[in-house]
Amino acid sequence: MTIGAPILEVEVLVIGLFVLMVEAFFERIDKRTLAFAAIFGLAAVLAASFFLAPAPTDVATTGFWSFYTADLLAIFFKRFALVTTILVLVMMVDYAPVVRQSVHGTTHQSGLGEFFALPIFTCVGLMWMASAIDFVMIFVSLELVTMSFYVLVSFTRRNPATLEAGVKYLILSALSTGFLVYGITWIFGVTGETNLARVTAVLADPALESGPALFGMVLVLVALGFKIAAVPFQMWVPDVYQGAPTPVTAFLSVGSKAAGFVVLLRVLQPFFMMPQMVKALTIIALLTLLYGNLAALPQTNLKRLLAYSSIAHAGYLLIGVVSFAGEAVAYYLVAYLLMTLLSFAVLVVVANQTGDNIEDFSGLAKRSPFLAFAMLVAMASLAGVPFTAGFLGKFYIFDAALRQHQTTLVVVGVITVACGFYYYLKVVRAMYWDGSSIDAPVPVSRLSRVTMTAMMVAIVVLGVYPQPILNALK
Amino acid sequence: MSPILFWLFAFVMLVFGAAVVINRNPIASALSLVVCFMGLSALFISLDAFFIGIIQVLVYAGAVMVLFLFIIMLLDLRVEERRKINLVAFVGGLAVAFALFVQICFVVDQLGAAKQAFPSLRAAKMDDVHNVGLLLFTNYNLPFQIIGVLVLVATIGVVVLSKRELR
Repeated sequence: MTIGAPILEVEVLVIGLFVLMVEAFFERIDKRTLAFAAIFGLAAVLAASFFLAPAPTDVATTGFWSFYTADLLAIFFKRFALVTTILVLVMMVDYAPVVRQSVHGTTHQSGLGEFFALPIFTCVGLMWMASAIDFVMIFVSLELVTMSFYVLVSFTRRNPATLEAGVKYLILSALSTGFLVYGITWIFGVTGETNLARVTAVLADPALESGPALFGMVLVLVALGFKIAAVPFQMWVPDVYQGAPTPVTAFLSVGSKAAGFVVLLRVLQPFFMMPQMVKALTIIALLTLLYGNLAALPQTNLKRLLAYSSIAHAGYLLIGVVSFAGEAVAYYLVAYLLMTLLSFAVLVVVANQTGDNIEDFSGLAKRSPFLAFAMLVAMASLAGVPFTAGFLGKFYIFDAALRQHQTTLVVVGVITVACGFYYYLKVVRAMYWDGSSIDAPVPVSRLSRVTMTAMMVAIVVLGVYPQPILNALK
Repeated sequence: MSPILFWLFAFVMLVFGAAVVINRNPIASALSLVVCFMGLSALFISLDAFFIGIIQVLVYAGAVMVLFLFIIMLLDLRVEERRKINLVAFVGGLAVAFALFVQICFVVDQLGAAKQAFPSLRAAKMDDVHNVGLLLFTNYNLPFQIIGVLVLVATIGVVVLSKRELR
């Protein structure tokens, strides 16, 4: 039995509406049941994504299939979005007590239903984004994702830091949207098309003056730079990541970034024959690598550290993009998903007891050996210790860059990896070497324990046996 | 259309466009902006472009409402009125406006069509609202549906973020 790829989004949408409806009409139930139902539903959709009917391969000129594609890249990132959302929902269940304290409402669980429903709608947006092959479609699905993030980031609005993060995210995101629309207008003005394949065809004509289209593309690049947090468009990242509710930060740093990279890979295709584009991207990648890694060195707050680390990883991913290595980028994103979400999952649990500064992790190895070990695996993978997914990801990226003779990028990349070892291992040192005044063990729910174990196993297994991911795009 | 009407609306637009800049009170500026847009939409309608005319009013009415909200939220009206004219900003603004004017003159001069006299159109029969709707619901159906989801998310967001504590 097979189903069509567009059905997947409809299914996820139905799950989201279902959660909203139950939330609205059944006040008495434990709202966490909704999260479990959503997790179960999304897992079912994930399973269904392995039984897809082949989509039409030739590009239609009008109608549905001129906006939507179901190629391997799209299917891969649809699964990616689903897995991310499931893991974020697991984190949100752990985070529920914090939400209750900082949302107004009549009952003690007010606001939780919306907190669980919004990520599902974000997931739909991410899935549509993965399939978008038309600028109109890219724009509307990107806006769906951004709009739900506006709400999610400022969700715990009694906390002033969250409000500040929400306003910053709103204003800078709106600005980047403006850049995106303006860029698309220029490209449309030159080519008269919004479909990426037809834009490519028009641009291939040597008689066409490519300057204005290139200008439009630069504007689009600025907008996507905001989404993937590349330097010099990263200024919102540290404050927003620190102020937003932790599961939302995790979602933002994985989901939003991955979607940005898919769109980047697709949008750049018509423009890669132009050497100026490659040069611009190389410079952005270099700046991102240096800024992210160097600014992470003095951080004492773990959420802020992870924010800078997310900028740094955008740099490595950009090396992959510059080197035309789609598979390496996809593998790196999977590794990034696992290690980032694992560290945020541990952070949510530990922050419930103490706080999100690095010193709050002191002596975690004694308080909860399991959490400390999970964090150790995540940090080792983020830093790029061999036999973890993070190491292989960097390896593939540098390998692709060497094949394209991007020596500067590789040299800077390797140096910044060494930087990374310092600040990631700072967390490990706090957990295993520093003493702590608190001796109470940290409680971990069974669901989180199972999820964290699964992520740890996946990090190690993919670090040794990467073929499943690499084959998924062939 | 009657040239008198064109000159009338063009004059209204120019006067109120200038009023947007000259007024010291931000609310008076915003209101002048509304009148300016009304004049523009009247020009569109007199060219038989009804859809663009209506959209001009609807969209800009919304945009100006947002502008009002921002004025009330972020600006202190009394301080704005008492503020002195910043000479550097004044001269700079004038220079930019002048540069834009020169550029427009230059472009119009280059444009062959601007000097040509076109025969007047017969009564337009194009059903533009119908055509836009048709395109939106056939070819652009998928993005249109996604915007539906987007509006749903925005609605949830408004409820969540503006809900007050009931006691």
